[in-house]
Order: sequence, then C-alpha cells, then structure tokens
Amino acid sequence: MTSLSRSDAGLRSPPAAPSDGWMVVAAQELRDVWLSARGPIIVLFFSLLLSLLTYMAAANKELNILDQRDTANLVLQITLGMGVSVSLLFSADAVSGERERETLESLLLTPVPRRQIALGKLLAAVSVWPVLLLVAVPYVWALRPGAGLFADAVVAGFVVGCLLTVAFASLGLIVSIFSSLNRLSLAASFFVFVALLAPTQLPLSGWFGDLIVRVNPVTAGSSFLHEVIVKQRGWDQEFTLLIAPILAAVITTGLAFLIAGRLRLQGGIER
Amino acid sequence: MAATVLSVRGVSRSYGSVQAVRDLSFEALSGEIIGLLGPNGAGKTTTIRVLSTILPPTRGSFEVAGVPNTKPADIRERIGVLPESAGYPLHQTGEEFLRYHARLFGHPARSAREVATSLLSEVGLAERASSIISTYSRGMRQRLGVARALVNTPRLIFLDEPTLGLDPAGQRQMLALIREIARDRGATVILSTHFLDDVEEVCSRVIILNRGEVIAEGSVADIKRRVAPSTARVQIPPEMHDRGLSALRGAAGVANVGSIDAQRGWLSATFDSAWLDEHPEIGMNTVLRALTDAAVLILSFELEGGRLSDAFLALTEEGPR
Repeated sequence: MTSLSRSDAGLRSPPAAPSDGWMVVAAQELRDVWLSARGPIIVLFFSLLLSLLTYMAAANKELNILDQRDTANLVLQITLGMGVSVSLLFSADAVSGERERETLESLLLTPVPRRQIALGKLLAAVSVWPVLLLVAVPYVWALRPGAGLFADAVVAGFVVGCLLTVAFASLGLIVSIFSSLNRLSLAASFFVFVALLAPTQLPLSGWFGDLIVRVNPVTAGSSFLHEVIVKQRGWDQEFTLLIAPILAAVITTGLAFLIAGRLRLQGGIER
Repeated sequence: MAATVLSVRGVSRSYGSVQAVRDLSFEALSGEIIGLLGPNGAGKTTTIRVLSTILPPTRGSFEVAGVPNTKPADIRERIGVLPESAGYPLHQTGEEFLRYHARLFGHPARSAREVATSLLSEVGLAERASSIISTYSRGMRQRLGVARALVNTPRLIFLDEPTLGLDPAGQRQMLALIREIARDRGATVILSTHFLDDVEEVCSRVIILNRGEVIAEGSVADIKRRVAPSTARVQIPPEMHDRGLSALRGAAGVANVGSIDAQRGWLSATFDSAWLDEHPEIGMNTVLRALTDAAVLILSFELEGGRLSDAFLALTEEGPR
C-alpha cells in the first residue's frame, strides 16, 4: 500500500453533489441490465417466442387459425405483457433487492437525492419495454397486417406500452421502497399485474364488463390495441380507452416520486 | 490547535419504544482516531447511522465540519462510511465500483477514473482493479470498502467493524490503513469495533457505549486507569513456592496472598486499594522488590485489570461475576 495524501492527483476534493445524479445511477443500472446476462437473455427468449409465433402465422397455413391482423395484435399484446412484467419485476427488485444484497446503504450515503436514485432505477427498469418493442417490430412487419396498418400498430403499441410500463414500473418501485423482503416485493407487484391482466382473458360484456375494461388500465390498453389493429378503428374513436392507462401512469409515477423522497435503509412503515 | 470536525449534542435515537441511543454528546478533532466500543446492542451501529445521516436523530443535533444535521446531503459530501454490513455488486470490478461511487460524489468521468485508480493503489488493490468483486477475499472487500469511503476526500470517516472476519495479516493491513488515513489526510476516524486490541493499537480516544448511553470517554490510558489493577499474578519456579509466598506476605500494601497453581509456581497478591491510592508511584512494584529481596526468581509477572479489555468488561458489567 502506498502512502495516502490529499495532494495526490486523484484525491482532489470533488465538486459539489452532482445535479445529474439520476443519470449516473441510470447509466450504471442500464449497464447492469444490458451488459450482464439478464437483459440479453430476456431478449433472446423473447425473440425465440416471437419467431415461433410468426413462423406459425406466416408460413404454416394449416396451423394458423388467426388472420394476419389478429396475429400482429397478438404479437404486440405479447410484447406488451412481456415488457410490462419484466419492467415491473426489475423495478420491484430495485430497492428491496439492494436492501437484501446490502448495497443500498452505500448508495444512500452519497449526496445524490433519494428521488434521483429512484428515478435512475426507474429509467433502467422501463428500458426493457422499448428494446422488446424494437425486437417485435420486424415480426409485425413480417406479418404484413395490411397497408398503413403496420405503422398504426407499432405506434399504438408504443404508446400503450409506454403508459403501462411506466405505470407498473412505478408501482413496482413503490412496493420495493416499502418492502423489507425482496421476494415479497416481487410477488406482491407481480400479483397486482396478474390480477389486472386476468380480465383480458375473460368474456366481459354489458355495462359492467365495459366499465371493467375501461377502468382497468391493462384491459383498456389491450382493448385499444385490439380496436386499432384488428378492427382498424381510428385513435379519435377509441381515445377514451387510453384514459385509464394515462391516469395509471400519472398517478403511480406521482406517488413513486413522493414516496421516493422518503427512501430509507430499512423497509416497512416508519415508526 | 486541531479543528473540531464532529460536534454531537444530546443525540438520541429511538425505534418505537426502544431507545437505541440516549443523549449522546462528544466532539472529535481533525486527525483523531476515536474508538467506539460497546457490547452487542449498545448502539454503536445506530450511532454511526445517525451521524452519517442514514437515520435522523429522534432528539438532539450534530454538526460535521460546521454543517448542521438539518443538511444531510451536505454532510454526506464531507463524510466517508464503511458500513458494518457493506455489500458489494459482485459482478462489477473494483475499478468500476469505485468509479461509479466517485461519479455519485460529483466527479466527472475522467476524474472518477483517476480517483478509482489512485485509491485502488493506495489500499493495495491495484493489481486486482479489473477483477470482479466476487473473486475478492473478505480482506480485499473491506479494503475496497475503505477506498469507497475515501472517494470524496472526507473530513470524517466512520468505520464499522472494519477488521471483522479478517485474518491477522488482513487485520494488520487494515489498522495500518486506518492510521495512514488519519495521519496523511488529517481526517477524523470513528472506529467501531469489538476488537479491543485494535483500539489500543490505533485509537487516541475511546467512547464506550452501553445500552445506548455513553458510560466512559477518554484516552485509552484514562479508561484503563478507571479500573485500576489491584491484583498481581507472579510465576516463580515451583520449588521456590513456599519462599515466594512468605516473601509476598511481607510486601508493603499486600492485603492477601494466595497460591493459584503450586505445581506451576503461580501466586497471586491482592493489594489494599487504599494503600494503592496513597502510593500510586510505587504501586505493585513492592511485589517485585519483596521477591527479589528474598532471592526468588521471577518467571512471569501480570497485572489483573490493567488492560483495556478489563476496563471494558468492568464498565459494561459483562465481566465474570
């Protein structure tokens, strides 16, 4: 070991707390997701899944029971489900995982404000969605759902996916901030997502069914995609279906922002 | 005169109805190494967490280099901490880990790289800079943790159990590093540890906590004096046992003489405490003089209660009863 000295080149006093701490955190978290095994494995698995689906839809007419538009919708719905759930799990792990791995304390000991730490982690978690959508775009194109529909499908998928990913990643972050146990955080967050996803598989009808579809951000987003891609309806005709995803994104992000200011070393409710 | 780096005034911290730290007050000067001692659950880690702004105090206030605890982010710019249970991102290299933390403390990218390289060299990890942390030994991880605590050139450094789990060579390296930090950087070090030998070796001052309260504070010598030794143990050749016993009975100030192990020649002499108070300059030397006058060979001589660990045990009421 060499002698320690303040005057050493590398040991000069640092500038004040970084104003872009969130970017430093986000950059590191993005490296952790995409330069480690996690992100690439998810992309690989997702690519294989879409390859199988599009092959069956485009090449094997006997096995294909859906038309091209339905298949394009299905590809985007799967992309949406995968993107939202993976982002949700990443954000649900963001704080409680660091707590469990005992790396949170050293992060909280930096002068970066708690909200910026949370924002950096949230950005890394939602980065999964655009990457998966990018992977899905060639598959949607390969299905050739119809002239002009390709762009509509991708844009609609992008908008709905962004809203739902932000909403659920923020929800995961909120749960993670309060949770002492990482498993609890992951399970609770995923349960909420599955509970909201379940009605998309149910035959909802009547005014109550319509209410559920419009109030639940997942069913609303899913229905919007179906209407735009399969039924080729205009955005202005179905815009009301975007209200629930927009509200969910705004409310959960706002809550996450408020709660992140109280991010603490221990989980649970402050005594 | 050394500047006051840390000033703590009546700090308390409760968890619900449990008071972990009660009315803590002390000051630390620049360049000091202060040992924070106490049995398990005494409040050492809570004290460090409060003073490092991880936990807010329930009552009281403190200042670090003149910055009040109402500005926690400003305090964090001036302190470095090696937490008790410091975890590390095992997939990162040591250099990446330090570069990341240097960036979090406001270093631009290039400067962060320089800081990381410089600190890795200073803690003796230069050769392992590009190895991932999962391949580091416990001692290497602790040194990396100390390097992390130094990325912002702190005025005050908290080290919570830095030698825990290290082998003797690792302990020695860590203690040398702590001394260098205080000496070469002029930084104040608050060292929380269970290892009293570490404290005796590096600390200029000691604060002993018990059940959340300060029960003793002062230099290591001061603390030792609080539990003055009153018994001497002497080993003489077994064949001189009887002669040794009678010589001790005649020694000035000795109130009681006993044979601990006649076969190995161990004797004990307990002094009259009033006599010791009246003759501090002579102390237990009378035992040595009585034995040499009686031509008894002294093989070994020990004072019971003369070590920091004796004082610690007596003060925290954990010693054998």
